[in-house]
Amino acid sequence: MTTSLAPSGDLAPSFQLLAALLTVLGIVLLAIELRRSRGSRIAAFATGSLASIGLLFAVLRPVAIQSKGSLVGPRVVVLADASRSLDLPGPAGKTRRQEAARALGELQKHGADVRLYGLAFGKGAPTPLTAALADGAPEAAQSGAEGRLGQALLAARPMPRSDLAGAIESVARAADERPAAIVVLSDGRLDRPGEAQAGEAIRAALGTLTVPVHAVAVATEAPRDASVRAVRAAGAAVAHQPLTLRIEIGCAGGLDCDEIPVSLRELRESGEPTLLASGKASASSGSATLELEVTLDRAGARILEVSIDAPDGDAVPDNDTRYMTIDVARDRVRVLHVAGRPTYDVRALRMWLKADASVDVVAFFILRTPTDDVVAPSEELALIPFPVDELFSEHLPSFDAVVLQDFNAAPYGLAKHLRSLARYVDKGGGLIMVGGPDAFVPGNYAGTPLAEVLPVELDRGPDAQGADVASFVPRTTEAGRAAPVLGPLRDLIGEEWPEMPGANVVGDARPGATVLLEHPTRRTPKGGPMPILALGEHGSGRTIALAIDGSHRLLFSAFAANAAGRAHGAFWDAMLGWLMRDPRFEPAVVDLADGCIAGENTTLTLRPLPGQKGDAKITIRKLGTGEEARVLSARLDGKGEPLSLDAGKLQPGGYSATVEIVPNEAGVAPSDGSASAQRGPTTRRDFACERGGDEWADTRPDPERLAAIAAATGGKSVTVDQISSLPLPAATQIAAERRVSPLLPPWAWTLGAAMLVGVHWIVRRRGGLS
Amino acid sequence: MRARVSSVLLVLVALLLVALVPRPSRAFGEEGAFNPRILLTGTARWEGARTTGPARWSEELTRRTSAPARLTPTTVRADAPALLAEPFAIWGGEDDVPALTEREVLGIRRFLALGGVLFVDDFAPESAAFGKAARRELARVLPDGAPIPIGTENVLFRSFYLLRRAVGRVEGEPKLEAILRGGVPQVIFAKHDVLGALARAANGTHPFVVVPNGEPQREQAARLAVNVAMFVLCSNYKDDQVHAPFLMRRRAAEPSP
Repeated sequence: MTTSLAPSGDLAPSFQLLAALLTVLGIVLLAIELRRSRGSRIAAFATGSLASIGLLFAVLRPVAIQSKGSLVGPRVVVLADASRSLDLPGPAGKTRRQEAARALGELQKHGADVRLYGLAFGKGAPTPLTAALADGAPEAAQSGAEGRLGQALLAARPMPRSDLAGAIESVARAADERPAAIVVLSDGRLDRPGEAQAGEAIRAALGTLTVPVHAVAVATEAPRDASVRAVRAAGAAVAHQPLTLRIEIGCAGGLDCDEIPVSLRELRESGEPTLLASGKASASSGSATLELEVTLDRAGARILEVSIDAPDGDAVPDNDTRYMTIDVARDRVRVLHVAGRPTYDVRALRMWLKADASVDVVAFFILRTPTDDVVAPSEELALIPFPVDELFSEHLPSFDAVVLQDFNAAPYGLAKHLRSLARYVDKGGGLIMVGGPDAFVPGNYAGTPLAEVLPVELDRGPDAQGADVASFVPRTTEAGRAAPVLGPLRDLIGEEWPEMPGANVVGDARPGATVLLEHPTRRTPKGGPMPILALGEHGSGRTIALAIDGSHRLLFSAFAANAAGRAHGAFWDAMLGWLMRDPRFEPAVVDLADGCIAGENTTLTLRPLPGQKGDAKITIRKLGTGEEARVLSARLDGKGEPLSLDAGKLQPGGYSATVEIVPNEAGVAPSDGSASAQRGPTTRRDFACERGGDEWADTRPDPERLAAIAAATGGKSVTVDQISSLPLPAATQIAAERRVSPLLPPWAWTLGAAMLVGVHWIVRRRGGLS
Repeated sequence: MRARVSSVLLVLVALLLVALVPRPSRAFGEEGAFNPRILLTGTARWEGARTTGPARWSEELTRRTSAPARLTPTTVRADAPALLAEPFAIWGGEDDVPALTEREVLGIRRFLALGGVLFVDDFAPESAAFGKAARRELARVLPDGAPIPIGTENVLFRSFYLLRRAVGRVEGEPKLEAILRGGVPQVIFAKHDVLGALARAANGTHPFVVVPNGEPQREQAARLAVNVAMFVLCSNYKDDQVHAPFLMRRRAAEPSP
């Protein structure tokens, strides 16, 4: 309860002021009059003044106000940095997060009269700190020295970014109560605002909200650390073209970084990473930039590992190795087209390859066999030798895909290169084997290393049948109906194929392969329908087996005329596109919005195509060893909405996530018991898990940036120990009950005034005044 | 009687054995084999001494190259759906031909639109009646296409043999003519009676005398036929950059004509 006085209980302030002015004017006029007169002037002035004041009180009638209420502290928003960099070493052997938690405790003590509203900022809109507690922080832990907010920060999930500007924008635009001040707790190593003009950026983020932004630096000293701070590509990565990578090496905390060895490797599907380049960086001045040139032969997502040999005393070894996923594009797809003999099928494929401006074709067709009688000397022939050794040893890595069409490996010296061709696929190359009398088993591929990379098995027995010459119409499998790779063809001709004059005899689909077309009657040794078109992954590469030699009927036949011959182009465009991992032909997209940090929960986002129904199975394997790390599953409802899948905590290194989508109908085992029919189309995404990630790349705190932010907004920048000096806004009195009572009744004021006027009149008469 | 029964049994067993022998896988591979089909228009029939020409064409192709070919080529009518079954046809004749029907024009137009190659062989270049008629009718099929001369600079002259000129039963003009599509010949006009040079009777004799250079010219005509077949099967394969240095060296080594 508080009591206060007011000059009037009913007059408006303007009338109160007028009355006061008239009173003062009366006193002044009295003084002027007395100055011109003679006699006792002091008594007359005193009584006159009292009479004027008495009249004023009679007019105003002062009142006493008794009010009941409380002091309410202003709202102060505390933005606590929840990024991963807070887990770096801080002062006194603690982490920066622990220091920030202590700072929150100190702030709660210092700001007892204000209402602190704690938010954690990192990526996206800031989240209430208390939400972290609700997520499972032990209740007992909430009573520590850090206070409730501090405990909440310790329990908060580390975030992959530190976007202070975004957080302040969010606070400034929020519809709820506007804060009287903002306090930022951070190490200053922020993604937004950047190092330059941080203050201006925060002012812009505040918009119309004019409040001070105070900053509390939770770390000021850099740890002893050498790190790979950044890896940047100078331009886009294009297959077969040199690419310069700029590697920034950092050194802080007084380490001896005179010559730091740097190595650049590419992670492989199997085996050790391949060294691409190496160098030495001299970072004794604190940082150094090293340029390394690499040439990546395979297009698609490639994972590069950049590592340094840090000097002794490195306190943060987790940032000595960084992974960079680089999307290698193709200027043009380079295709090696090798055909065993010229046929209409060869003609059709060649015409399509040559018609596509994005394809660079190098073709070799066997036009003459050793037994052919050309009836002419060689100088009258337009034939050149088939440079098999040169092609399949020296030039093989320069091709994105190899098409072996009706080509016998034995007579032309290819047999001895099949192992390197298999290795080529393993390292990311694409391979298509197209059927014909000299393909697959009759082409002498059974039992060779190349047969191992094909998506179908080949019978290597001496009595193995090479071809089934009975005409048939290929049948689309369930996977083929769902696979986007056959989508363009389906749009043109539906699921019906033209009749084929026969097929190469192949075995069952290999594990992991997807059969899109199958023989309607012929069975594999295991009893399933014989694959006609199968897609497979091997190592980092992809392979396609097409066991027919009549795909030209999609281009030239009465059947093809219905689609104006476009079906052939649609088919082969999709085949080559799938081989080159064109996103149009992938059954789904997998990405990691927040990346992957070793030891922390990783979330995969699966984006299926609209209309896809069935079960998605995601297999995560470690690159290098092929070890199965996780198997996840999800049900697709056909809406095409992204699904978040928890992959748990992964170890550092490269991974491949292979997604297989089994359509609903195929979820039921076929009556013939074939395994291949149950397999759905697959897609794959390679990614890497880092120990430190971007947030740990540069371990130096940046208190100067925090000071610039505070200075630009009228705030103050302090350390944790100086929190008590933060100028927090004062509390406001909020009234709940108010009672007004007159000091005296109106008649008493009037009587008093009349008496004072009377006294003054008497004094004036005695003094000779009128 | 017993001997007759034995003979019947022997025939049955032989037939059974023949039936048990699997068909060669070559049948599977012949789907894309070169087939020099004769295109028939109007009431025309394929008869006369040149009927052995297409089979000889296939025979020479398979003997000299790795390309498969149909050894018993067929005929196809211009208005039949079968025209669209394969991408090659030969239209030959000696005399003027009646105007193509609308169905025939449409059939040939669809054939060419899908990428088919038509070889127009004038069996009587001396009168050129067929050649002129064929050009007239094909102008109705392809109103925007006009034949232009093609010589040794064209891939047709180096698709298998390095040819210095075109010849058939008659020596004729050194160049062929062609309507090009996308820079490659699609309708090829020969004023040389190539099928006449290729024709060969069952007894091995040639029904037509090749003039003026006799058998060497017949060999050159066979080479032209092989080149046409290879062009049909490989398109402009020999225009690829990888062949250029070899072919330039060999062309340079040739004696000047």
